[in-house]
Amino acid sequence: MDINFIGENLLPGQIGQFFVVLSFGAALLSFIAYFFSSKEPNDTTWKSIARGAFWINTISVITIGSILFYIIYNHLFEYHYAYAHSSKALPTHYIISSFWEGQEGSFWLWMFWQCVLSVVLVATAKSWESPVMTFVMLCQTFLASMLIGVEVFGTRVGSSPFILLRDAMNWPILSDPNYLSMISDGRGLNPLLQNYWMVIHPPTLFLGFASMIVPFAFAGAGLWQRRYKDWISPGLPWALFAVMILGAGIIMGSFWAYEALNFGGFWAWDPVENVSIIPWFTLIAAVHVMVAFKNSGQAYFTATFLALISFVLVIYASYLTRSGILGETSVHSFTSLGMSGQLIIFNAIFFFVMVGLLVWRRKEIPSTQKEEDIYSREFWLFIGALVLTVACIQIIATTSIPVFNAIFGTKVAPPIDPIPHYNKWQGAFAVVIMLVTGFTQFLKYKRSDHKKFWSAILVLLAVTLVVSAGVVFITKVYTNVMYILITFGAVFCILANGRILTDAFKGKWRLAGSAVSHIGFGLLLIGALVAAATSEVISQNSSGYIAVAGFDQVEKPGENLFLTEGEPVQMGDYRLTYIGDSVAMPNVFYKIKYENIDEETGKVKEEFVLMPFAQNNPQMGGLIGTPSTKHYITHDVYTLITAAASDSHSNDPKANDSERSGFEDYDEPATYEVNLGDTLRYRNGFFIVESINRDAKIENIPKGADDVIFGLKVRVVAADGKEFQAEPLFLIKDGNVFDFHKDVEEQGLRFRFSNIKPQVDKLEIMVYQKPLPEKKWVVFKAIKFPYINFFWCGTIVMTIGFLMAIYRRWKDNRAPRAS
Amino acid sequence: MKKSSILLIAIIAVAIAMILVIYTDSSTYSTFSEAKEKQTELYVVGVLNKQKSLDYDPVKDPNHFSFHMFDNDSTECQVVFNGAKPQDIERSEQIVLTGKMDGNVFHASKILMKCPSKYNQDQMEVIESSSAFNAAITQ
Repeated sequence: MDINFIGENLLPGQIGQFFVVLSFGAALLSFIAYFFSSKEPNDTTWKSIARGAFWINTISVITIGSILFYIIYNHLFEYHYAYAHSSKALPTHYIISSFWEGQEGSFWLWMFWQCVLSVVLVATAKSWESPVMTFVMLCQTFLASMLIGVEVFGTRVGSSPFILLRDAMNWPILSDPNYLSMISDGRGLNPLLQNYWMVIHPPTLFLGFASMIVPFAFAGAGLWQRRYKDWISPGLPWALFAVMILGAGIIMGSFWAYEALNFGGFWAWDPVENVSIIPWFTLIAAVHVMVAFKNSGQAYFTATFLALISFVLVIYASYLTRSGILGETSVHSFTSLGMSGQLIIFNAIFFFVMVGLLVWRRKEIPSTQKEEDIYSREFWLFIGALVLTVACIQIIATTSIPVFNAIFGTKVAPPIDPIPHYNKWQGAFAVVIMLVTGFTQFLKYKRSDHKKFWSAILVLLAVTLVVSAGVVFITKVYTNVMYILITFGAVFCILANGRILTDAFKGKWRLAGSAVSHIGFGLLLIGALVAAATSEVISQNSSGYIAVAGFDQVEKPGENLFLTEGEPVQMGDYRLTYIGDSVAMPNVFYKIKYENIDEETGKVKEEFVLMPFAQNNPQMGGLIGTPSTKHYITHDVYTLITAAASDSHSNDPKANDSERSGFEDYDEPATYEVNLGDTLRYRNGFFIVESINRDAKIENIPKGADDVIFGLKVRVVAADGKEFQAEPLFLIKDGNVFDFHKDVEEQGLRFRFSNIKPQVDKLEIMVYQKPLPEKKWVVFKAIKFPYINFFWCGTIVMTIGFLMAIYRRWKDNRAPRAS
Repeated sequence: MKKSSILLIAIIAVAIAMILVIYTDSSTYSTFSEAKEKQTELYVVGVLNKQKSLDYDPVKDPNHFSFHMFDNDSTECQVVFNGAKPQDIERSEQIVLTGKMDGNVFHASKILMKCPSKYNQDQMEVIESSSAFNAAITQ
């Protein structure tokens, strides 16, 4: 480049790029050194090199993040990342969101969490450090390669967050030496992401994804080092931690979908949602089989395989979401950065590492020839894990349709209506899982007493029948056999685990963690089921909708309701009024008043205002609505703007053109001949011609001896009682007649004192009125979600249960009990 | 491990059955003329006809949006969507409709749009709107 660009701040990018390359090199070195350290545990040199390289990698990753944040925070738009993902108006917490809006930022987040986890591993893993860190650093090497952004042999490897705008784009203006002064602002953050959930959901989710490497690494290291049985104890707390964090991250995402996205719900079986839940399910299955193996020596292969495949599926998930392959089927996948080849290699390497290790050690893998008893806990833990795995296979199969199309060149489209398609399968699996989760609590490892088991189970089933009948009746989900079965299963699971929890209060605290998380999951399932199954659109609009007889599939009446400002509309139990809007750029808040009216007395029982808002961002896709929700204990009322009068969206609300004296904004004037004291009507009230002011002055126009200046004092009284004064002027100067109009802006009025007719003793006044502004309107949807609080509560309870279980397994690992 | 082997076989059988059912559930990307023949719900991919008007008058009916689209065989058809007009449909490069034919009008239940980003041509954003809020779990 021989152009000398003005005003660029290139140093941060150069430092940043240096550390990107350094982090890659250090990760690679650390991986190699840990590898040899594992092979030769007695030679401490390798370990020292590996640790040194690991620390360099960690420092590099932190430096990359700090510099990228500096660039975005200081709006250095010479960098493409800052330009593409942020703007000057963003508050700091959204600056943080824009940090991970792009793929580069989210890859960095993943690396950062891996560094944090590695620090913990290096400090605590002891003899496991070298082999486990070998796998972690292999993954870190791949992640670092995603940020390099350098061409190697003609193919670009990775995408650097520090690429300059003028290198990323080939717009003509970017070759102008002074191009920076022409770029006033960045493109900004997608309005859908301007939500507090977006500040915390990605970090949580990526911590979940990142921590999935640890169970993989322990399982892999167990095979590699031939320490087959030893990896379970240290691996179990890590696996539980990953499950807990990933679960929390996924549910936060569904919070975000519910509160900020206009999807009209919290879970839509969107491919991006699916790929995040698949590894979560497989790792939950892994945790259960690990526990089974630990206690009975059964199912070693299954435990190891599930722990390994979970991380392979995490990489597969990031391939699906980042390669652009879901473009036809998903609403919110990342766009392609042309890195799908790199992601495929990343995925394939880890897949082959898994298969290679399992094949290599196939003869030594511990297995027992003993048949498990059907009345044993390990047997059913194993079955439950298998059912979860099959559930995953169904989700993977449907979600991967675009991948099969790409491989085989077919043109299969996903199911037209994905939600029922997934629900019919996953609903059935959920019933089985819930029942197994319930009765397995009453089985012991190895062998149980049949009689005791059945007597406990039969009592429980009887209680469950009664309770679930009550739940079904209250929540009104009796319309469908599947709903009833799921409710029954979930209630059974909650009661069975509640029964175990009562034992915990008698001092058996060791099992409390699992019982609490199972109860949480049961609650979550009931909440999701009831909210999704019985949610109703309460803005149902059947006007203008004619059901056609004989039309086999009658279209639903519309779900959007039209509201004009100030005109109440009855909607279900509520009377709704659109009472106006307030602008806080870039958002416009639409105030919608809900009144619940008692039919008998006509009194308002309750009243609240919801303020869904929308952003008109032409660069991001026009009007983007953000819902507003009224929460009750038993249900939520959810409101979303789908369209609005465009004038409330003028991009500059303060643009008023009162300075212009043009008459083109006004209707044809009315000319009146009046006397003092006359009262005349106008569209929105009346005005009184009060008096003549003979001492009127006009600025800048000196009054000559023969000149006459009269002001006509007019008092305007609007319909709402507000009063305004206006004094149009009449001027005779040097024998010529002039007049100066005066406006009453608020009423859209303009007065001209246009003539004085002494011969008829009349004053002539011309009144101009602006045409009535079009009434503001909004189109919106309202949905009622009953009992969704179960869903949120269940999540919290489940997370607490995981925490308890982690604590217990961590303690067990520190001080192995004589079992 | 005999019992579990039998179970494993049963589960693999379930998995195979499942995948077969997934493919019977799956749909095809087709054209307006096929939609006329089949009379079932399917996907039609195409582009917006920008010469003709897009009609959405919320004052009259906030749930009626009509426009014209060319499918991949360049057949033009009127499309009616039972919902609000999706923002930014004018800018879309490609539209994926879900719905069925009714006479000479295609009734869309879902509109998925691909919009070019204003700034660079190789970046796409995808926006979806759906007229039917799906109540979950069906039989």
